[in-house]
Amino acid sequence: MTRFVEPLTIEEACSALAADPWGAKALAGGTALVLMMRQGLVNPKTLVSLGALQHLRGIEAEDGFIRIGARTTLNEVAVSPIVSALSPSLAAACSLVGNIRIRNLATLGGNLAEADYASDPPSVLVGMDATCIVQGSSAQRIVPVGELITGFYSTSLAPDEIITAVLLPVAGDAHRRSSYKKYVSRSSEDRPCVGVAVMADFNAGVVAHLSVVVGAVAEVPQRFDELVTPAIGRPLDQQTVSEIAGAYAAAIDPMEDARGSAWYRRQVTEVFIRRALEEVASP
Amino acid sequence: MTSINMTPQPTGAVGVDHPMQDAVDRVVGSIRFTIDHEVGGMAHARVIRSPFPHARLTGIDVKGALALPGVLAVLTGEDIVGDERIPNPCFGVARRDQWPLAVGKVRYAGDPVALVVADTERHADAAAIAVRVDYDELPYVVDAAEAAREGAPVIHEEWPRNECGSWALHHGDVEEGFAQADRIVESVYTSPSANPVPLEPHVAVAQWNDQLLQVWSSTQWPSIVRRELAHMFGLAEHLVEVRTYPLGGGFGAKGQVKIEPLVASAARIVGVPVRLELDRDEVFLTVAKHPATIRVKSGVKRDGTFVARDMELVYAAGAYAVTSPSGTGNALVRAPGPYRIPNIRITSQAYYTNTVPGGSFRGAFTNQVAFAYESHVDEIASELGMDPMMLRMKNLLRDGDTYATGEAMHDVHFEELVVNVAEGIGWDEAQPPMAPGRLRAKGLAVILKSTPTPSRSEARVEIGGDGHVTVYSSAVDMGQGASSTLAQLAAEFLGVRYADVRVVDPDTSTTPFDTMTAGSRTTFSSGSAIRQACAALIEAIGELGADQLGLSPAELAHDEGHVVAAMDGSHRRSYGEVIVAAGLSSLSREGVFQSESGGAFKDPLDVKGMASIHWHQGAAAVEIEVDIETGRVIVLRCHGASWAGRIVNPTRVRQQNEGNIIFGIGPALFEQLEMESGQVINPNMSDYMIPSILDVPEHMTSTALVSSEADAELHGVGEMTIPAVAPAIANAVFRATGVRIRDLPLTAERVLRGLRSVEGKDR
Repeated sequence: MTRFVEPLTIEEACSALAADPWGAKALAGGTALVLMMRQGLVNPKTLVSLGALQHLRGIEAEDGFIRIGARTTLNEVAVSPIVSALSPSLAAACSLVGNIRIRNLATLGGNLAEADYASDPPSVLVGMDATCIVQGSSAQRIVPVGELITGFYSTSLAPDEIITAVLLPVAGDAHRRSSYKKYVSRSSEDRPCVGVAVMADFNAGVVAHLSVVVGAVAEVPQRFDELVTPAIGRPLDQQTVSEIAGAYAAAIDPMEDARGSAWYRRQVTEVFIRRALEEVASP
Repeated sequence: MTSINMTPQPTGAVGVDHPMQDAVDRVVGSIRFTIDHEVGGMAHARVIRSPFPHARLTGIDVKGALALPGVLAVLTGEDIVGDERIPNPCFGVARRDQWPLAVGKVRYAGDPVALVVADTERHADAAAIAVRVDYDELPYVVDAAEAAREGAPVIHEEWPRNECGSWALHHGDVEEGFAQADRIVESVYTSPSANPVPLEPHVAVAQWNDQLLQVWSSTQWPSIVRRELAHMFGLAEHLVEVRTYPLGGGFGAKGQVKIEPLVASAARIVGVPVRLELDRDEVFLTVAKHPATIRVKSGVKRDGTFVARDMELVYAAGAYAVTSPSGTGNALVRAPGPYRIPNIRITSQAYYTNTVPGGSFRGAFTNQVAFAYESHVDEIASELGMDPMMLRMKNLLRDGDTYATGEAMHDVHFEELVVNVAEGIGWDEAQPPMAPGRLRAKGLAVILKSTPTPSRSEARVEIGGDGHVTVYSSAVDMGQGASSTLAQLAAEFLGVRYADVRVVDPDTSTTPFDTMTAGSRTTFSSGSAIRQACAALIEAIGELGADQLGLSPAELAHDEGHVVAAMDGSHRRSYGEVIVAAGLSSLSREGVFQSESGGAFKDPLDVKGMASIHWHQGAAAVEIEVDIETGRVIVLRCHGASWAGRIVNPTRVRQQNEGNIIFGIGPALFEQLEMESGQVINPNMSDYMIPSILDVPEHMTSTALVSSEADAELHGVGEMTIPAVAPAIANAVFRATGVRIRDLPLTAERVLRGLRSVEGKDR
């Protein structure tokens, strides 16, 4: 039978997780974990609720970055004026997860800790070079989101570690444009078959920085910076866009599931990278 | 017998949007479903199911589970077989081939093998994990065609060829018909399995009081559940009471007999009331739409006239027969579609497979054939270079035509329906400019559906001393508003106010027999029984009233729940007063609707004769858009139409027509039960896709066609637009892209692959 504890501090929460490294699970919104429990995929001995840790919730603009508390719900991120102004593609990605009932419970930290390959926010966060503040029972560390997610539903989090906040660097002087394209192949409320996050900084009409990340096609978000290097210093014209889309489609090794075969994912990856880049390229 | 000349005048109860009787309860959430039902001292059950599609049971170790807290019992099939109080443990509507818990072997991944009964649901869940079952795996078969082959694994020893329904029809001379044809068109169409996904899962509570068995179940078939349970326990039917609350959705999933035998057996053996509520994944393992492969071969004249057809229908029945043996017969008589085809041959077969037992899915045994024959009509049109609507108009059945069963068709409205849906989406409108990379087109389909024949509905209508009316019927309200519709009918037939009528929930100890709430039959069948009961009641009250008022029956009239002197309206006395004055507390009469057996199904290998007391008729037209880079299909517009004859409640009719469209979009575009190694791999609402609100067409409209005659026959509308949705979409996709998809669902990937292959051919 599962035990339920609700620590009042982050330290207590880490200790509770450390006390039973293999049997305890941290519970935030519960939209993923409870589903897995009901399906018998996980059977935690102890559920460590993060429900009392109210200070892990909230969005603040700080110097050079946005700090999002890990327990902030996806809907709170989606409707946040700060996120919408400074990182609209993250707001878009969070607004497209599941449905409103899910988004009102699911948290941003929980979304990353679950490391579901077929989710929207991770690819945006990877493309923005976002980092997580991670608290363990003995130390705190900062982990880039790209290094947090290590595989199929797996992360580099130690059993006693909890994500406390996500930090998003915001643009400096450059003109930044970003886009998140979610493609669903079945019901409109399905998880992504392919999700494409692009972020481009322009200086005087040419690309100063560009990231392209493809989610839901492989175990972890796919980012190949070497494939976008040729675009740096050039305008994001049709030819550049097509080259990047084609190169990504060739480089990824797509997985196969009920949302599409590997062949199909490769086709639509190219389509949606092109569409996302076209969107950021158009004024 | 005294006859009453003047019947009550209609009060306007019919044809009016009266709100549902329980509308407020539904909106504020205070309505009670079976899932809310509790009885004192009840225990909770959890099923242990086979992970293997076909295996011998070599041992079940219940010791560990029995030792856990709160566990009252862990039952296996042997416990049920060995109990003398359960003399006939096997159940099934068509064949009694199903055990409450597997005996000897399991026949599908999901077959119940043991049942934990504990004091709480948590204890039952915890103990279920501790039950150890040993299996010896057997070769299994999931595909109907493979199950039909010589040497296939045998699923029931009594049926060594896995046969689970076999029917044939011959009409005219098929060889001669094909010889006359200018063109022959042949294709194979497939539909996968699916689940109706009612929001409320299957749930039942059983309680024994000595020899009396009381069952509360979320079932669409309470009368048949009672009959099966009485047989199982060797009881007189009046010792079994089956009750239902309004269902939180049914759509066929809660037809026939499902978990009631297991729950009643457990309550019998353990000696306490037992409740079982299935988890969502178990709903997926309890009932499944029949996967089907349908071959259609047509002979047509150059001008489009249909002259011959040969069809072969093959269904996977799943591990137990349920209704497959008879359902395949229903499929057969619906398979020609609403067309004049002078020479036709059809075979329809189901085979046992090691898969979830087949059952009803809204539009059961019609969706699969309609997808085939309506896709096929458009294929013929394309072959001949004809407009698909014109091709239909040329061949559709008209009044007096002979159908493939040999019966003459009456009250036929297929042409009106086609014209209506075509107009509904602007079939002839010029195509507006399309966005780059998008293709748009329209498609339509028209269908017919038999209604369960023969069937029986009984009703008792009672007027109390206070003048209020109670209708006793075993028709189940499953969200379609059956109770409210029947209340409107009773109000109309009695000439009283709708607000004064109440239809009680089914309770087989007080509500009379009803075959089933399925097949879109309730409004017509139960409505007919209520009409008869009301007529008898009016006659009885008239006799009493005439006597009390010192009038002759001819001098008496009825006026809004009162008897009056026909001449001047004097002597006004309410029905309640008449009843009280007669020294009665209430007065009731019964009505029975029994449809004649049409005879079509007498000889399974020569189906001939009347197959349906009347034929349901529906159509749908869609406009779709295809993203040519992804293949994804969006339904922009849909108009559905059904023949209603006469409408009891306009809003509910519209909700049925449009609810069917939404329901139909799922299996058309993305909904399917997925199998791997004989197991269902998407038994949850995260992986199994049903349409979301965002998938509903931006423009969705519907029409219910009605007769000009005031007293026209009522036709059910519960399923008439759904079978037309998938073929209409498939036909529109073809018209937009040149890609003909013959396998449901029309996934984006299938469409994109089709587009690539069409491009390849163009090059």
